[in-house]
Amino acid sequence: MSVDRARLDRVLNPRSIVVVGDKGPGYTWLSNQSEFTGDLYSVQVDEKEIKGIEEKGIPNFASLDKVPGEIDLVICAVPRSVSPFIIEAAAQKGAAGVHMFTSGFAETDEPEGIALQERIKEIATESGLALVGPNCMGIYNRRLGVKFTGAAVQGDGGSVSVMAQSGTHTIGLTLGLQAAGIEVTRSISMGNVLVINEADYLEYLIDDDDTKVIVMYVEGAKDGRRLFELLRSVRGKKPVVLWRGGRARAGGRAIHSHTASLASSGDVWAGLYRQTGIIPAGSADEVVDTVAALVNMTPSSKRNLALIAMTGGQSVAISDQFERAGFEVPRLSQQSYDRLAEFFNVIGGSYQNPFDAAGTVRGGEENFKKLLDILEDEPAIDGGIAIELSTQGYDKNPKWLDATLEQLASYRERTGQPVITLSPTGGVMSASGASEAAVKAGEAIAARGFALYPSFARGADALGRVVDYYAALEE
Amino acid sequence: MTNPIAEARADGRTLLTEVESKQLLHDAGIPVTQARFAAGADEAVAAAEEIGFPVVLKIVSGDIAHKSDVGGVALDLADADAVRSAHAAMLEAVKATAPDGTVDGVSVQQMAQPGTEIIVGVTTDPQFGPVMMFGLGGIFVEVMKDVAFRIIPLEQRDAKQIVREIRGYPVLEGVRGQAGADLDAIERLLIQVSDFAWEHREVAELDLNPVIVRPDGALAVDARVVLAAEA
Repeated sequence: MSVDRARLDRVLNPRSIVVVGDKGPGYTWLSNQSEFTGDLYSVQVDEKEIKGIEEKGIPNFASLDKVPGEIDLVICAVPRSVSPFIIEAAAQKGAAGVHMFTSGFAETDEPEGIALQERIKEIATESGLALVGPNCMGIYNRRLGVKFTGAAVQGDGGSVSVMAQSGTHTIGLTLGLQAAGIEVTRSISMGNVLVINEADYLEYLIDDDDTKVIVMYVEGAKDGRRLFELLRSVRGKKPVVLWRGGRARAGGRAIHSHTASLASSGDVWAGLYRQTGIIPAGSADEVVDTVAALVNMTPSSKRNLALIAMTGGQSVAISDQFERAGFEVPRLSQQSYDRLAEFFNVIGGSYQNPFDAAGTVRGGEENFKKLLDILEDEPAIDGGIAIELSTQGYDKNPKWLDATLEQLASYRERTGQPVITLSPTGGVMSASGASEAAVKAGEAIAARGFALYPSFARGADALGRVVDYYAALEE
Repeated sequence: MTNPIAEARADGRTLLTEVESKQLLHDAGIPVTQARFAAGADEAVAAAEEIGFPVVLKIVSGDIAHKSDVGGVALDLADADAVRSAHAAMLEAVKATAPDGTVDGVSVQQMAQPGTEIIVGVTTDPQFGPVMMFGLGGIFVEVMKDVAFRIIPLEQRDAKQIVREIRGYPVLEGVRGQAGADLDAIERLLIQVSDFAWEHREVAELDLNPVIVRPDGALAVDARVVLAAEA
């Protein structure tokens, strides 16, 4: 590791925070910490700003050395030209580390920014300061209420951690996961990775007991070799969902071999994915969809699914999407068909697999229970169920959906198979995504521990990525 | 035994000749066709007799990149007379098509039996260091770019997977009643090349192109080693 582990631990789990240089009217960084469970201080010398800070009830000091007690984290929000002095002061005060929100360094590609960054690196390296950034949004810690946006939740729980080379994506992924009902335990915006690099953060998250799933957004690797070795070491221990953005340039070096001329960075990353068993994702949506499946679903490497749609058209669409994503939709045994024939409404319905089931399951809880019992006994189905759930009218009559979810939860428990729920936006049996009924239904579905997808394609892809992951672990 | 890397360094070269490349790889236990340098016709015949007929003759010149374009490759030479006449014809042809090229001599090489062509290579990635490439040879690599990569060092599982990852894998399994290629030999070769590159970090690039795979083994018939520029 590039920094002392104990110091990094204090920075990521601070008991005391000092914000240096925050400004009104919003006082963004102090306001972000309004639910912080530890001691919060401010350092500001601008008289115009001090009044507003004191009105918030936050003790303000003229310099870092005046702040009482030990400092775990300094949030540095001063202009870049002043920032080396703050870093120096933080080092002298013996702070564990600094999150540098300040930007305008090497990312500008101009001499002044590069020189300032070098100066900061020198101070931090000499003093052992754990420096996050610069040019980043810093850290989020759910339990302790350390935040980079007020919209992030403070509270217990959380099992997913996010580390990203972009502040926007750090916040976007954190809030996107949160909106999907997934509790994020900590997030790290890495910025220019001047002192602590992506491999250091990854190593920390691998060892972190609170982190069960790791989400990474990277554009390139500063210490690619160590990153590769860490990712290989985590194979089978913790799932890592990796979203790689951009295309790293290979540099202008002369190339003599065929091999070198063919080696694009994308190809090499694709090789890394296979070697390490990480789960690749191509967008923020894909990250959230995949994590939702990972967190909610029973681990499975099996691909024979029962698909339950509510209309004929959707039964074709759901099959197309799951087959495209690498799943099988097998015919069932004669015994199952005989049992289904006893009660299944075939007028406007079908039970071949895929199921066109509205006419039957709308007929009563008993029918749905019989259907699931038959699937439980069916040897051709080993990969679980993907089901279209209607959210229509849920706000007025939640009974049917609640009963269905209970049956599905019981099926999942009895069989150990995944159950994926889908509510395609615009589907005739579903309310539109934004309606009150849909929102309430979505919450009820999430509360039952099911991942809900707004399209068959997204559900199929998410389940596909997760099943690929568990299948690769068996190779 | 000479050390091809030390010799190239002493000459200030980063590009090893084919004979040097093959010697280096042969010493590491990697299956390559035997290759000997010969300054003239008599040496070429002696080398051929040592290797065993049939042989291949290739021109050796630092100035000629594409040997076959200038008539600098002669295949399947069955005896000493064939070697002598091919040698004379080759010098003639090269002189005619590339009059400015300095010819150092020829390399005499074991003639491989036909089979499925694959390419195995190593390059140095700016982020990850040594990486390996695998693909089918010929148009599969030239036109389709049907290749896959792994970061070195490879584990057994990596070797097994990379062979099966390329789209052309069915060709290796054997199509239209043809016997399949020796997959174990390919996987063994990949691990050997991976270990070689891991132990020789001064090797920046390596092409084994092609390697000929038959139902009973794999043999590299051309090899090119490029060293990293000295720091």
